[in-house]
Amino acid sequence: MSLYPSLARPRTLADAAALLASLSSGGVVIAGGQELMPSINAGVLAPEVYVDIGGLAELRGIAETPEGLLAIGALTVHRELQTHPLVTAKLPLLGHAATRAGGGRQVHNRGTIGGNLVAQHPLYDLAPSLLALEAEVEWVKGSETVRQPLAAMLADSRHGLGSEAILARVLVVPMAEGLGFAYEKLKASGGAYGSANAAALVKLTNGRVAAVRLVVGAVAERLLDASAAAAALLVGRPFDAAAGAALAHAVSALVTAPLSDAQGPGPWRQAMAGVVARRAVAAAVQRAGRA
Amino acid sequence: MDDLAQSVLVQWRVNGVLHELDVLPGQSLMDVLRDALRLTGTHMGCMTGHCGACTVMIDGRIAKSCIAQAATLPRAEIRTIEGLMGPDGRLSPVQQAFWDEAGFQCGYCAPGMLFSAIELLSETPDPTDAEIDSALAGSLCRCTGYQSLRRAVRAAARALRETP
Ligand SMILES: Cc1cc2nc3c(=O)[nH]c(=O)nc-3n(C[C@H](O)[C@H](O)[C@H](O)COP(=O)(O)OP(=O)(O)OC[C@H]3O[C@@H](n4cnc5c(N)ncnc54)[C@H](O)[C@@H]3O)c2cc1C
Repeated sequence: MSLYPSLARPRTLADAAALLASLSSGGVVIAGGQELMPSINAGVLAPEVYVDIGGLAELRGIAETPEGLLAIGALTVHRELQTHPLVTAKLPLLGHAATRAGGGRQVHNRGTIGGNLVAQHPLYDLAPSLLALEAEVEWVKGSETVRQPLAAMLADSRHGLGSEAILARVLVVPMAEGLGFAYEKLKASGGAYGSANAAALVKLTNGRVAAVRLVVGAVAERLLDASAAAAALLVGRPFDAAAGAALAHAVSALVTAPLSDAQGPGPWRQAMAGVVARRAVAAAVQRAGRA
Repeated sequence: MDDLAQSVLVQWRVNGVLHELDVLPGQSLMDVLRDALRLTGTHMGCMTGHCGACTVMIDGRIAKSCIAQAATLPRAEIRTIEGLMGPDGRLSPVQQAFWDEAGFQCGYCAPGMLFSAIELLSETPDPTDAEIDSALAGSLCRCTGYQSLRRAVRAAARALRETP
């Protein structure tokens, strides 16, 4: 073990993956550093080896794939999600969620989608929308490339990708024309994080809910995909006040182990899970109605 | 550069002047600017990325230098608050507007407020109050209550629109 940390800046994704695989005690991947540096400054994290992925051109850019998906490179920063024409046109829910992240312009200019997702922080703002959009992720480990649903990555009990894998891209099916969407972030303080967040997608047919996706964040250690519960209550009906109340009740009931932290006490967070769910679906219904 | 290095040579143009420096992995950009280059107008505040007092511009985009790792910037164009004034030593229009509107009291937050205003106004020449508030959200001020900061950004917007 060395007293001083070292850093490598590989030029290709294959080199970076090979390097990570070769480090017996593990390296720490660094992208924008917006999540890592506060812990390093505080001395609670002291990596021996940094693998700086900032030079990997393969992880940059937003493009349409031949299969018609939007492929978002892991190094895409929040600012690009907020302003890129392809995101604005085809994934407005994600673009909107990126505007709601805290830290200000300075953090939005450097924080990446890869770092945001790999950190698996329950209070972060990009995962709820991407889960609602049923995004997939592609990651590289050693010489192997794996493509899997984001839901599977988030559910993995190893908590994240481990120290050897590099998230390369996020793949998302473009949102259909007229699909209603909303991201609600309920903040109890002037700080960066929400106390309860909800991402919703709603398809309306003749004023009735035809399909719904709903994911709630910041209320429990893991994101809550409440899509099935929402669909059971809402599909085939107009979304009125009674439906909203029933939805709020049902979503709160799904939160069995609420977080209790600086963002608020557990019982309140559980109640707010229902509130943001109702607000997000109501806003998505309104947008769908206008389309 | 695939090798593991305990010291990384970086090439930065800082406020127009080229520097070649050896930096240590883990070190923040803020430390290098303040300690090696003696640019102490970049203030050290929270070290968590919340307060914005260490804000600089990296390759044309504003960033918090306490949470930008120096060694991950092998080549960069960096502007600090010292680089805002004109060559004649006069305040830039945005600085002048903050001065005129008493935008600052203690001034500790100045790098964050000025750079946030500059980036906002480069994209949005005539911002609404909501746009100003959201642009300043990454910077904390404990003196002014933010009203004079808003006024200063509005005045800066007018000044920039009037200067060709
Ligand atoms: C003041 C402040 C406020 C913030 N507020 C919010 C907020 O309200 N909402 C929000 O969502 N986020 C917030 N953030 C967090 C930050 O914006 C995101 O987490 C950011 O996107 C992190 O990306 P990064 O590239 O900087 O990550 P890094 O710090 O570089 O990395 C984060 C983690 O991910 C790993 N990693 C990064 N990229 C990859 C990759 N491609 N493959 C494998 N592993 C990888 C790293 O090893 C590390 O464990 C805030 C941050 C700050 C400093």
